[in-house]
Formats: sequence, structure tokens, C-alpha cells
Amino acid sequence: MTARRLRWWSWVHKWSSLICTIFALLLCLTGLPLIFHEELGPNPAIDKVAAPGIRASVDTMIAEALAERPGEVVPYLFYDREKPIVKIPTAGSMTSAPDTFFYKVFDVRTGKALSADQPNEGFIYVMLRLHADLFAGIKGMLFLGGMGLLLTASIVSGMVLYGPFARRLRFGEIRKRQSNRLRWLDLHNLLGIITLAWFGIVTLTGVINTLAAPIELMWQSNQLLDMAAQNRGQAQGDRKAPVDLVLANVRAAVPGMTVTTLAFPGSPFSTPTHYAAFLTGDTPLTSRILKPAIIDAASGEVVVVRDMPWYATALFVSQPLHFGDYGGLPLKIIWATLDIVTIFILISGLYLWLAKWRSGRAVVDAVGTASTEASR
Amino acid sequence: MSISRTRRAPWAIPALLALVTLFGLLAALVGEGGIWWPLSWVTLAVPCVCSGCYLVRGLRPPEQS
Repeated sequence: MTARRLRWWSWVHKWSSLICTIFALLLCLTGLPLIFHEELGPNPAIDKVAAPGIRASVDTMIAEALAERPGEVVPYLFYDREKPIVKIPTAGSMTSAPDTFFYKVFDVRTGKALSADQPNEGFIYVMLRLHADLFAGIKGMLFLGGMGLLLTASIVSGMVLYGPFARRLRFGEIRKRQSNRLRWLDLHNLLGIITLAWFGIVTLTGVINTLAAPIELMWQSNQLLDMAAQNRGQAQGDRKAPVDLVLANVRAAVPGMTVTTLAFPGSPFSTPTHYAAFLTGDTPLTSRILKPAIIDAASGEVVVVRDMPWYATALFVSQPLHFGDYGGLPLKIIWATLDIVTIFILISGLYLWLAKWRSGRAVVDAVGTASTEASR
Repeated sequence: MSISRTRRAPWAIPALLALVTLFGLLAALVGEGGIWWPLSWVTLAVPCVCSGCYLVRGLRPPEQS
């Protein structure tokens, strides 16, 4: 590598890192408890039942949820991926923001209401908002996406700079005798190159996750309307088919898949005259990829089932690779360990820049003092 | 040692570590249960253990000669 190219890559590494380090540190620190959100978050106790395959009436559960919140509506049903529970949110209107939802949790087998903390409150929720959008909605999310892109530039430039650095040292060599700065430089480079693939993937998938809102908008304005156009839905007043019938029809139309979300007519993920059900498969990968089905609201008949477009699939596949929640507790512990190593890399990078800046200042001061002395 | 070998040598271990990490990341995601989860844990433990060892070694005070 020529000296000019090396200087250019150093410049990219320095500035991309300096701009995003504070945010990257925030993301690493808030991400740490989020890795264990299933263990730390609201976790209702679930009874053992004699026949685990049975399903209680969802319409009864909805009536119970609405009775507790008069004047509100149910915009969605959210089924848990692991446990036999369904979260039924109620809201002021079908298009209310999710952070205003009030959730009631039910056992899907017995229909019994379970006591659970609200998922949009508490420590994990605060960590999630700080990590995902800095409590600033889509603007905060896209801003963090920009920081993620800078972090990607920092990782790539760091990798390029590792080549010329490593030619002078054996792998794993840490120079401790000369100075603290050299020790931390060697540790920074070494830890950076060891965790490169993991850190690179987690950063890139994080950037893709920040595009969730635009991807949802694209799907709503293209695919959802196109799917619903196959049957305009008969406007028959407010008559809606029972939710139990809708769920039974969807399960019959798409055997082998599980309903994870049902969007009610008038919610942002359906149309005024259709329900939309989102189904997943049962393998680690297919359990992340949603397949939408559109259902006529009045008759409860399934209108169309279609795969998601590639950009939505890219988002779904990137999610587990960012969260690390697809390989049991040992994988989460590995994720947390690598996250802590990343915190070391970020802090050491900041220390190296400060040390260099200070020594640069010291040289400038020394030169300044020397020239003043000389001019006297 | 030839020039090309000098250039490639520093990348041998980092490239191996990256491959092991990528294998671990994909094993649990694409593999369907069974041996794939433990395989993913073992391979992803490699960068964790390497980082831990070098961190401990780097933070220890230099030995007196």
C-alpha cells in the first residue's frame, strides 16, 4: 500500500470512528441487556395443561380485553413464537401508535388471562427505545442507521489498516514494554481483527433493521394494496366475521405454518375491508420470514396468500443475525461476550485517539515554546 | 520469503477466524436443530476465547526481565 493510500484509509478510520463512537458505545451498552430480553422482560407464568393442542376461543379473549378498556379497539393479535400465549393490545383507534397500546396476555389453550407487565414499560423497554430510535421515532431510527453506516466504514477501514500493521508483528503479539499507547494499539488491532466478522455482520444487519419503517411502508403501498385488490371486499356495514373463523380459515388455507400476527380491518397492516394474517414456518430461518394472507373481513374467506418481496425477506433474515436469539442461551452468552469485547475495542480506539492528540499537542507546544525561546 | 507470501501471511489467522465465525453464525440459522446448535456454539466460542485470552495477556503487567 502506498503512503498516500495508507494516509487516506487512516483518515477514513479516524473520522468515521470519531463521529460514531459515542453512539456505537450507546448501542453496545443498551444492546447488552436486550440480548436477554426474553429472560429479563415481562414473562407470564404458564400453567401445565392436560391437552396442550387445544385452542380456546380468541373472540372470548378479545371481548374480555375490550370489557376492561371500554371505548377502545383491538388492532392486532400477537402470538408468541415460543410460548402458548397471545398478546391482545387495545388502543384508542385502529391507527394508534404502538407505544400507546395496553396489552392483555392470554393462554391460547385455556383462554385464561395471565398477569404480565406491559411490554411498553420498564427497563427493557427504555433500553429498546434507546437502542432502536433514541425515543425519536423514525428519524431517530434512520439517524442510528447513518451511525451504523459510519461504523461499517470504520470496520472496513480498520481491516484495511490491519494489513500493514500486522506485517510488523506476529499474530497475538502485544508490545507492553515500550508504552501504554502501544499496548492498547496492539490490543485494539488484535481484538478488532478477531471479532471482525461478528461485528461486521451485527453492524450491517443493524443498519438493515433501521430500514424497517421504509420497508413496511413500501410493502403497504405496493404489495398489500395489490393483494387486497384481488377482492375489493364487500362493504356490508360493520359486519365482521368472527376472529375464530378467520384464524381457522387461514390455518386451513396455509397448512404447516403458524399465525404469528393478525392485523384487524382498518389497522395500518390491513385494509378497511380485510384482515391480514402473517404466518411463519417452524425452522430457525423460516420462523423469521413472514408470509401474509389477506382475508375478506365480512365473510372470513381467505382471498390470497403470497410470499413477501425480497426487501422484506432481507429484513427478516437480518433480524436474528442482529439479535443473536436463534441458538438458545449459549448463543446469547456468546453474543454478550463479543459485545463486551466490542466495548473494549471502542474505548481503546477513543483512548488511542486522545493519546495521539495529546502527544500531538505536546509536540506543538514544545515546538511553540522552542520557537518563542529562539526568537527572544 | 517471496513478496506475495509476506503479504498474505498476516491474513492467514484472521481469515481463518472470520471463516469460523461465519460458519458459526450460519450453522444455527440454516441448520435445523440437532448438531447444528452445539456446532454453532463451539465455533463462535473460538473468537470469544481468543479475545478473552489476548485481553487478559494484554492487561497483565509486563514481566520483569
